[in-house]
Amino acid sequence: MRNKIAYDIGRVYLAILGIVAFSFGAAEIMLSITGKELEWGILEMSGDFLAWRGLILLFTGLFYMVSIKNFTDIHQQAKAVMASVMIWIIAGMQIFGMIMGSIPGGEEGGWFSSGENFLAAYSAPYIPSLFLLPFSLVVIYYIYRLRRSEEREREA
Amino acid sequence: MELTVDERWDLIDKISKQTITFGRYSHTLKDAIAEITVKPLTGIPIAIAVMYGFWSFFGAFAGFFTDGFFVKIFDEHWLPWLQKVFPGEGGFLYYILVGDPTADNCFEAFGMLTSGLFVAIGVVLPAIIAFYLFLIIMEDSGYLPRLAVLIDTILHKIGLHGFAIVPIVLSLGCNVPAVTATRTLETKKQRFMMATLLAIFIPCGAQLGMMIEIIPGYVGFVMLYLLIGFFVTGFVLNKIIPGRSPEILMDVPPYRMPTVRNIGRKMWMRVKGFLFVAIPFVMLGVLLVNVLYWWGVIDWLADILEPVLSAWFGVPKETVGPLLAAFLRKDLAIAQLSAIEMTTYQLITSVVLINLYFPCVATFAMILKEGKEGGCKSAPIFLLGSLATLVATVFLFGGLLHLIWIILGVA
Repeated sequence: MRNKIAYDIGRVYLAILGIVAFSFGAAEIMLSITGKELEWGILEMSGDFLAWRGLILLFTGLFYMVSIKNFTDIHQQAKAVMASVMIWIIAGMQIFGMIMGSIPGGEEGGWFSSGENFLAAYSAPYIPSLFLLPFSLVVIYYIYRLRRSEEREREA
Repeated sequence: MELTVDERWDLIDKISKQTITFGRYSHTLKDAIAEITVKPLTGIPIAIAVMYGFWSFFGAFAGFFTDGFFVKIFDEHWLPWLQKVFPGEGGFLYYILVGDPTADNCFEAFGMLTSGLFVAIGVVLPAIIAFYLFLIIMEDSGYLPRLAVLIDTILHKIGLHGFAIVPIVLSLGCNVPAVTATRTLETKKQRFMMATLLAIFIPCGAQLGMMIEIIPGYVGFVMLYLLIGFFVTGFVLNKIIPGRSPEILMDVPPYRMPTVRNIGRKMWMRVKGFLFVAIPFVMLGVLLVNVLYWWGVIDWLADILEPVLSAWFGVPKETVGPLLAAFLRKDLAIAQLSAIEMTTYQLITSVVLINLYFPCVATFAMILKEGKEGGCKSAPIFLLGSLATLVATVFLFGGLLHLIWIILGVA
């Protein structure tokens, strides 16, 4: 019974996350096709590889949504895990790029960046994948807990 | 008795039914992930994400060292210091070692100790390290064989199979080990095709690093153009070259966490190869091109080849120098292009020409060697076949790109 509730909560969560990721992906692709950029508050959709990031997010959304059906099947859970991994790749590389860009002083500056410029490299706006990152971690934790509870049930 | 492929599979099925007993095994999440990464429907989006990760990592890592530190070291400290202390400005030795005394950056100076060192250490080395680091992680984690399975169907269309991904990916680092890796392919036809396609269409890590520096906004376009060229030429070669393209069985290992020790060892082995083989070639390239410039050979060649270069490819005659240098080091040749005055589209065409043009001397030597060891009747046939394909390809794809610019009204 507890598992049934957990599955239902998980499916709703994945559906919402899937729709959001899919929408972000579609928006990024549309923007790259029209050659436009978007900056809205702390969210931005611009920069190099915008179309690729959009395409990956679109697939991520699809993976999350497809995994909802028959979620007890381990292959469906694997799709949700891989969707999260795809978000980590985009977000991870964005964070890596921020770190790499924040250290050198730049053309006019000294060898290393000043404290102010260093912090500025990490300031908003951020790409959609960075916002999705913590929510994708929840998916992994959820699937991990689910697997553990299934194993315990089998052992019992 | 000769069995057909289907009969062999039937026989394998029968033997395995009689000899193998299957116990109960419940799938783990790792198994399921391993499966979905080889199925095209799920595997291709994952492969796109991995390739995106590769490019982002490559750009950020190489940019950090090159733009962040090496440009500053070489342009603001090393070049002015050399220009100040090196004796005999305007003399032969100065021209060869330091280059242009009025240059304010190492791309334009073009001396052995200025451009030569900067290209080798400042630009290419970080690019090579970034590339190999990512490649080793893909290899050791078990993802590379899965990529081979995924791409198998596509490569079959041009007479190759999934394992051809190994030389292709290696080639993105350096063409030399990639040509050696063609030994994993079964037939002479496949080995010849792979070595030729690699030498013509796949830019090495050094070239990629330089392309990112010189034409940052157009690297994607150049890569797409080369990729189309790779498959079109592969398709044609598969049709006209006699020989077999057999099916293979691939052993796909489980996913594993790469260890730091293994990564470090492999990394050192490959970077060591670059340090001791490629850097002397970069220096030699600058030396030779500078001597030819000094003697007026390049200007003479430029005048002779001007009609072909301008009319067919739409590039200025000054590109003769970089095209000659490309035989020694293609990265060096791309660096040389930045000093020539031309439009962006001419620059893109020149970069594509250098990619397609003659393989660098190290790759050239490897193709000759593999031609001998691969069991071909004679190495020259292997090499001449490669070169004939190359000449046809350069004129076809170089001219086609010029035509595209004319149609778009930018040439």
